[in-house]
Amino acid sequence: MRNLFQYVPGNSLIHRLNPITKIVLTIAICVAAFMTDNLIYLAALLGVDLAIGIIAGVPKKTLGILKGLLKIAAFLFILQALLTRRGTPVFWIVTDTGLLLAGKVVLRLVVVCMPLTLVLAVTRVSDLANALVQVVHVPYKYAFTLTTAIRFVPQFLEEMNDIMEAQTARGIEFDTRNSFKKLGMILPLCAPLLISSVRRSDQTAVAAEVRGFELRTSSSGYKRYPFRLCDLPAALLCAALIVLAALI
Amino acid sequence: MIDIQALTFTYKDETAPALENITLSVPEGGFLGIIGPAGAGKTTLARAIGGIVPHHYPGDYYGSVKVDGLDTIDNRLTDLSRIVGTVFQDVDSQIISSVVEDELLYGMENFGIPHDEIPRRMEFALKQVGIESLRERTIASLSGGQRQKVAIASVIALRPKVLVLDEPTGELDPASSRQIFTLLKTLNEEYGITVVIIEQKIMLLCEFARQLMVLDHGRIFVKGDTREVLSHAEELEALGVNCPRVAYLSRLLEKETRETLPVCVSIEEAEAMVRGLMK
Repeated sequence: MRNLFQYVPGNSLIHRLNPITKIVLTIAICVAAFMTDNLIYLAALLGVDLAIGIIAGVPKKTLGILKGLLKIAAFLFILQALLTRRGTPVFWIVTDTGLLLAGKVVLRLVVVCMPLTLVLAVTRVSDLANALVQVVHVPYKYAFTLTTAIRFVPQFLEEMNDIMEAQTARGIEFDTRNSFKKLGMILPLCAPLLISSVRRSDQTAVAAEVRGFELRTSSSGYKRYPFRLCDLPAALLCAALIVLAALI
Repeated sequence: MIDIQALTFTYKDETAPALENITLSVPEGGFLGIIGPAGAGKTTLARAIGGIVPHHYPGDYYGSVKVDGLDTIDNRLTDLSRIVGTVFQDVDSQIISSVVEDELLYGMENFGIPHDEIPRRMEFALKQVGIESLRERTIASLSGGQRQKVAIASVIALRPKVLVLDEPTGELDPASSRQIFTLLKTLNEEYGITVVIIEQKIMLLCEFARQLMVLDHGRIFVKGDTREVLSHAEELEALGVNCPRVAYLSRLLEKETRETLPVCVSIEEAEAMVRGLMK
């Protein structure tokens, strides 16, 4: 969780893609996943996700994300399989249609969730925001919101950890194995966390303002984000994914 | 460069003023150190010089603050920040980007520093603070001290005329603290940047600052040239501000010898004085 949005430096093909291309690729995968109703194609899309992770040189992270999604996926699969009432029963109350449907839902979930996390792992958030401002002309305010939100995820977790450690030192059993009990203990932490975050965001606003936040325009960025040759195959892949989804 | 006339400021929803009747003048190229117990109004004063008080923190404001001839009330915070660079006390909340390099770029991009000059300034700032090796690192992976250096570098890269630092060495080890002070001295002497620094490490202040101001309960307790302020060692002690031992030594020797002796601010000076007396 701590490293969920953490940038992994590198020089792979995926790293070098224009940030906009990466976003388009993410969107294309999502659109394709929702357009198609074919289980095999969904599995192929999962293959595309994994391939992106491997080309980007972050196989460990890719598997980590997959593992993280597995729990939710399993839960969703069981729910879907049990609740579908159509088709012929395979065993107990589970039907073949139910299994098929559950498989699709789960695959779709995994396929859609993976690329965004992967893109954030191989793109600096600032590059993403700057490219959005420069190329797509997204107003800087929104881009800033995005970067700041992502920037403060590790900060937030660090603070949460600090509070928990402070509480543990005073005898509160955060290291309990009972997750329900743990959840009950974490909830009261939300108030101090929220208060300190609000205070912090106020400070960040001042810090941004005294460094010229209001002067920033779409051409302020020092780095430029031109589309290069390597963006072409990625664009073709996007088109192919959507066309295939429409055909199958 | 900084001209404060009878400044009194009370934060909104507070009854006691955070600053009361502060009159202060720092010449261009000055180096002012501010010290005082917690709650003395040091941070508020730093905010007032940068215009953050009252632009961002509203309240009752009397008197005037002029920086480089601009009244902080009449000018926008953005325009004021072209002149005054501020390093805040809370390091974590002032870093905006996720990567060190981007953090330095942020201000330079916004203030429209010509793009061909940016690499030079970037290297200068990183080198001066001694964090060249951290350029590509993410902020989350840095220690508190390293973050503090990043915050300082990001302001230095902007080359402001006035640099206001609120306890910039709070998380730094003694060697790094000295390094920062040495850097401030260079910026002050070679580039003519006016430095205002709030600091608890009195020894460093005495060595580097030319002017000292002691605040207590929002009022000026004593201000003046560093040596002059240090001659009030006993009053400062009563306030809870420790003076360097060498300054005490001069006071003690003065009592002992019944001679008027200069106040020492460094060990070398004290050594010379003691040798002189022993002859």
